[in-house]
Amino acid sequence: MWRQHRYKILFSLLLLLSGLLLAIDTGDAKQNNEFDALDILGEGTTLLVACGWLGLIISSRPTGRVTEWLYYGSLLLVYSYFLDLLDEFIRYPDHIRLMSWLESLPAPVGMLVLTYGLIGWHREQRAINRQLRGRELFLRDHQLIDPLTQLYGIEYLQAVLQREIELHQSQHKTLSLLVLDIDNFAAVNRRHGMAAGDAYLSQLSELLSSQLRYSDVVCRYAGDRFIALLPNTALPQAQIMAQHLRQQLSQLSVANTGPQLTLVEMAVQQDSAKSALHAADQAMALAKKTTALKLQPI
Amino acid sequence: MSMRHFGYQDKILLLQHGSTELLSLAQRRGALLHKLLSGTGIFEQDLHKPHGRLHHNDWLKLLQNCQQQLNSPELPYLLGGALLNSRYISLCQSLQYAQNLRQAMAQLYYFRHQLFPCFYVRLYQQQHCILIEFKPALGLANQQGFMQTVVFSLLLGLIKQQLGSVCGISLQLQQAASHQLQHQLHWGVDVSFNQSADSISIPLALWQQCFTDADAQKFSATRRTCRQLNRVLNKQRALPESICRLQRKALPQLLNQDQVASALGLSSSSLKRQLSQHNTNFASLLDEVRRDAARQLLQQGHYSNRQLAQKLGYSDEHNFRRAFKRWTGLIPSSFKGMFNFN
Repeated sequence: MWRQHRYKILFSLLLLLSGLLLAIDTGDAKQNNEFDALDILGEGTTLLVACGWLGLIISSRPTGRVTEWLYYGSLLLVYSYFLDLLDEFIRYPDHIRLMSWLESLPAPVGMLVLTYGLIGWHREQRAINRQLRGRELFLRDHQLIDPLTQLYGIEYLQAVLQREIELHQSQHKTLSLLVLDIDNFAAVNRRHGMAAGDAYLSQLSELLSSQLRYSDVVCRYAGDRFIALLPNTALPQAQIMAQHLRQQLSQLSVANTGPQLTLVEMAVQQDSAKSALHAADQAMALAKKTTALKLQPI
Repeated sequence: MSMRHFGYQDKILLLQHGSTELLSLAQRRGALLHKLLSGTGIFEQDLHKPHGRLHHNDWLKLLQNCQQQLNSPELPYLLGGALLNSRYISLCQSLQYAQNLRQAMAQLYYFRHQLFPCFYVRLYQQQHCILIEFKPALGLANQQGFMQTVVFSLLLGLIKQQLGSVCGISLQLQQAASHQLQHQLHWGVDVSFNQSADSISIPLALWQQCFTDADAQKFSATRRTCRQLNRVLNKQRALPESICRLQRKALPQLLNQDQVASALGLSSSSLKRQLSQHNTNFASLLDEVRRDAARQLLQQGHYSNRQLAQKLGYSDEHNFRRAFKRWTGLIPSSFKGMFNFN
């Protein structure tokens, strides 16, 4: 991210440097015995924290309108705190008011700008939440995301499934699962190499999360198995969705002669996430044996 | 018998025997190469040199970096599969062209210094299966679980690939039951936890079954390549492994540190120093050897405590009983009882 903000950083450094030069030009250095250690400590800490904010903004955010507001708001704060710290070391002549204005004015303006930026951030986060639907339900924990497919992994699925089961039971609604398995994925990896296998997995996960509804969530259950959670969905509906998904998946397979896929739908009647997932595994094993539900790409 | 052993400073691993595979797996999962390599002493430009080598220490550091950078529990399983199918590891290719599992395992065992110098194994024949027990041959820090998973994934991948199923195979792991589900999903075999050693038991019937890709000509060709590779990677063992072997052979006599050092052609102090680099010491290695021997003897037959104490070089049976209780938390007789029930 730092590279995107090169000019901004350069500008900030120049601004701070000009403040320093101006202060040195107008004032004289204080004597050692005039330093107030407590003041220096307090103002220095504030400055460091504000600089930390700047760093976090730069390192975590791509360029954009909201980032500009956040950045320049914090920069004004930093500028103000910087001059504040400088006047602990430099005494200005009484008749020059410029430095004290420069010290006190930017801070409140910076606060306002920063606040406006934070409101923008809040709006942006809501938009991102909408964008994330289909990949995430009530829980957010970035440590549970699988780095390859950017889907949540098995721990997340267990937590979410447990909660959904309880909710659905109390409201007497039906919850369904779609289980997708890649047949003999090890052979694919062997034939085309690990890199191709990984690329196929991330393609597949993209397709899955784009084809499901906003309320659904897809998780990567195991290396080659995905499970989609369909809240408030009865089995017939789930079957229709599965049929739709099969058509879409067969297009993916035609494109790059991928492996065979097995897709199973089931309604959750179990009381716990563990037993539901166990039942899903069994349904998958059964489907693989009967091969009736198998996709047959060319 | 002085088999050469490698020191902690020797570069005993080929970059292409795992590191490049691991790095590309991790990179595809979003880890940054310079962060993965930091602190390892591996340079980016060396990665594609055909005979670039690294220390085992660097390998451990690399594993640690990967786990820090990525939260991807599938990594060791995938690495096992990637090693098995790598085009650059002639040892793994030869495994697939072997006649049957017996030949493949013999090949893997003979050339193991090229791929897994960190383990050595002991074989036990049981009623219907052969038990392969894995022991760490050097200090693995906290990466033993990871490496063990890699090895098991490779073996199970080979068996599944060549024989079609892993039915009847079971694994025993030392670790507590933490990754139960992962193991189940990736391996599809019975796994039991909290066991006294990491081991895999393979039914006798599988050992002679013909591999689907068996090809005698290609096998001998790849074996020749492995032999040629021995010029780069000397056939040598880690120091802790050599010591354990010596002690095991010498039982019921106990060799002291000087005797072992002279047998290995080292001075006593440098033996001590090198062991401390592996995070172990002479006494604990000896203890381990005796523990394994005791367990094996107890499983085999009906020895009295006195006989066991004699076979293991204890001065009397009380000392043996005390040591046994320290190892297992049980007294020998109740341990025996556990086995007779089974």
